[in-house]
Amino acid sequence: MLTRGTLIYIGQRLLLICFTVLAVSFGVFYVVHLLPGNAFVSDRVHGRALQILLHQYGLDKPIPVQYWHFLQGAVHGDLGVSLYIRGLPITPLVLRELSVSAMLGGAALLVTIGLGITFGVLAAVRQNTWVDYLLTSIAVVGYSVPSFVIASLGILIFGLWLNNLTHGALYYPEPWTGTYGSLIELSLPAIALGFYASGQITRITRAAMLDVIQQDYIRTARAKGLQDRIVITRHALRNALVPVTSILGPTVISIITGSVVIENIFGIPGLGKEFVESIFQHDYNVTVGVFTIYALLIGFANLAVDLVYTVIDPRIRY
Amino acid sequence: MGDLLIGRLRALRPLSATVAIAVITAACGGGSTNSSGLAGSQVFKFPTYQSPGTWDPGVSTAEVDSEIQQNVFDNLWRFDDSLNIVPDIASAVPTQANGGISSDGLTYTVHLKSGVKFNNGDPMSSKDVLYSWNRAAALQGPYASNLSGIDGYDAVQRAAGSPPSNANGAGTVSFQQNIENRLAANDPKFQMKGLTAPDATSVQIKLAHPCGWCLTAWTLESTTGAIVNEKTVQTDPVNWWRKPVTPGQEGGMVGTGAFYLSSFTAKQSIAFKAVSNWWGSPKPTLTEVDIAIHDPSAIAGDVSAWEQGSFDLIGYGGNSSNLTYPLIQGIKNNARFSSQLLTQPKGRSTWVSFNVGYPTTGGPFLGESAAAKGLRMAFNLAVDKQGLVSTACHNVLCTAATGGLITKGLKGYLGDGNDPLAKYDPTQAKSLLQQYDPSGSLTSHLKYSYNAGGLNDSVAAYLQNEWQTNLGVKVQLDPSSDASQFINNRLAGKYVMSRDGWQFDYNHPQDWFDNLWGAVASAGGSNTSGFDDPTYDSVLKQADETPLDQALPMYKQLSQLLQQDVVYIPLYYSVANFAIHSYVKGAGSTTSFDHYWNEISIQSH
Repeated sequence: MLTRGTLIYIGQRLLLICFTVLAVSFGVFYVVHLLPGNAFVSDRVHGRALQILLHQYGLDKPIPVQYWHFLQGAVHGDLGVSLYIRGLPITPLVLRELSVSAMLGGAALLVTIGLGITFGVLAAVRQNTWVDYLLTSIAVVGYSVPSFVIASLGILIFGLWLNNLTHGALYYPEPWTGTYGSLIELSLPAIALGFYASGQITRITRAAMLDVIQQDYIRTARAKGLQDRIVITRHALRNALVPVTSILGPTVISIITGSVVIENIFGIPGLGKEFVESIFQHDYNVTVGVFTIYALLIGFANLAVDLVYTVIDPRIRY
Repeated sequence: MGDLLIGRLRALRPLSATVAIAVITAACGGGSTNSSGLAGSQVFKFPTYQSPGTWDPGVSTAEVDSEIQQNVFDNLWRFDDSLNIVPDIASAVPTQANGGISSDGLTYTVHLKSGVKFNNGDPMSSKDVLYSWNRAAALQGPYASNLSGIDGYDAVQRAAGSPPSNANGAGTVSFQQNIENRLAANDPKFQMKGLTAPDATSVQIKLAHPCGWCLTAWTLESTTGAIVNEKTVQTDPVNWWRKPVTPGQEGGMVGTGAFYLSSFTAKQSIAFKAVSNWWGSPKPTLTEVDIAIHDPSAIAGDVSAWEQGSFDLIGYGGNSSNLTYPLIQGIKNNARFSSQLLTQPKGRSTWVSFNVGYPTTGGPFLGESAAAKGLRMAFNLAVDKQGLVSTACHNVLCTAATGGLITKGLKGYLGDGNDPLAKYDPTQAKSLLQQYDPSGSLTSHLKYSYNAGGLNDSVAAYLQNEWQTNLGVKVQLDPSSDASQFINNRLAGKYVMSRDGWQFDYNHPQDWFDNLWGAVASAGGSNTSGFDDPTYDSVLKQADETPLDQALPMYKQLSQLLQQDVVYIPLYYSVANFAIHSYVKGAGSTTSFDHYWNEISIQSH
């Protein structure tokens, strides 16, 4: 049940998100329009033909005027039209690509949380054993190696060295075949994207678990004869998850931003790939549209995490 | 007994061979076959590496788009594989002999074939020609000037005005909607005075002035000469070209060609289907064409997919330069596939342009002084063109440009070795440099500008090395990672020395000389070197107004003017490469365009 305080908090955050999106979209709009070159010019399109196209798409107007036109459309859910595929409405395009990115991001988040919490709990429960040392070492490697290195290594190992052994099952073959929902194809990009953050979650989960399992109520639970598995999963883990939740916001952001790199390495046609392509193609409207959606996603992800706090830890109130 | 058994076994050989062939054929997955040797599935698959910009013939420009559009739209005439003009929708190619061109050369009378239909079933008539051409003139796209010889062209453009401006495309909609409204209302301001339809099967074209190249330009596939369907365009004047056609419903990418668009997912895939009972010939054998839109970085994976049979062909749709040298070598070295590599010279030349005529850009090559010309010649003679072809192109991706800038096989080609600028003479080059820049001060801070990527990087490195070795001049390389910025600057004449090039549109020298040098190119904003000369302009005007066979010596004179002035350093002619499975019959390419899909069939394999 949302309290009045929570609703006010949500309202404030939504206003902040609006302001942030506005600032970010204008910044990006301004910068991309300052880039030299444009989407139309070629050996065939120049002179009057070029001027006509620039005028037609409003690219000869002052940047604030162009941005105002963009905003007018954006508030109605219309992000404008592509300059590269002339006249193609951007909103359906980026929504389709968002669904691809969401699938990849969701899979990466599963990797991050699944691996991170499992490793963290195991390391804490088996503190100072070889299990602890091994998992802690993996975590250190995880948050020390950038995602693009893991992606490249993954392609090298599974796509080249072990391809005959795995029959390509773990290798995501470029180009994207459009088989949505095929998690096995997504496994390598998802691991590459999620492994970095999973190292941090392992570290925090381990520390939180060690703190919790030394509490009196855990000792009491064990003294009452509860199985160790139940003590860990039902009593210790829930309380240990509070600090983990606190880094979920930054984790989601790192997955969203990391997807720009990973989608380009693996050729996955999501928002991240579109973002980079649109910059090279001078498809300004797409660049601004994608960035605006990124800003919205990050804003809402942070808000969602803040609200999840109240569920996990009832002491937290807004 | 033993001999008898052997004899019987020998008798069984033809049978066993037949059985073996049948088993192998079935195992190879060629699908069911019919009596004509065709595969059961006539779905033709290939990747492309660029999403379409637009397939509206009124405004389209890119080669990748036109290679696809040509299968949906027809012109009155088309080019055959030898680039001769042959009838398409028109019943004949007009000449003075057949009465198609008046004695003064100003009036063309065109009779249309009977039974031509759009692929939505609408009959096509002379009214559709008038609509399509008037619409293209009003839209003022990059190829609108192909119609500029027709009387009343300028007036239509003035009447259409400039499109209103709007970032979200609303300006485009209102501009194109206005043109459609005016055309539907038969507004005379939107109709070229010189374009009339005496009856449903005849079109009369009156020129404002003599034009030797107009017929060739009107024939250029997929652009302003192509015939579109008014009813379809009016359903959505801006986006009709990317909407799939649903049989029985109005709208979509409708033309008179053998195929229609059946699905299009932006940045993912395109599919076309054959028109049943198509009016033309040869009738399409393919039932469907599936095109995957891939990132250029996927080319290596696509070649593997082609080898495994997932694609029938690599290189169609204007993507013939995507096959890199290592990939070509990989195919060549594979005994199974080496014979399936098609190499086809393309009408694309690359050269180095000097800044000859832009004073604000300056540089040692500017102007007509003996020193400027001498230095241009020195830098030209210092480059071994054959060496460039073996070093940068590995003798595979290009051939040396020794016959002028117009490539071999095209009208206006000067003949092998007939371009004096193709000469390599480092001794004379050094001597010229010492004569005109003895202190080295004029050439001490030179830059060679180019757009990075493809062959351009290795060519630039080669040129730098040649100038360093043969002239002792260290030229700084100035790559631009953004091609559009580079082209913008080059067109504006902002480079002292830059990579330049041209791919012909249609087989007529006017396509080169009007677009690249002289006053006409300057007015159009495409005179990259700034070269202009009263003799050049007057000869060009005369040549453009003269029938081609009589104009060729004049165009040759223009080539000589450029050579005498050392306006360029000839580098190479491009060669396209295609990987085509042997079971794909009829697929291939000309100097200009890929073979039409209705000429292609999939044989059993």
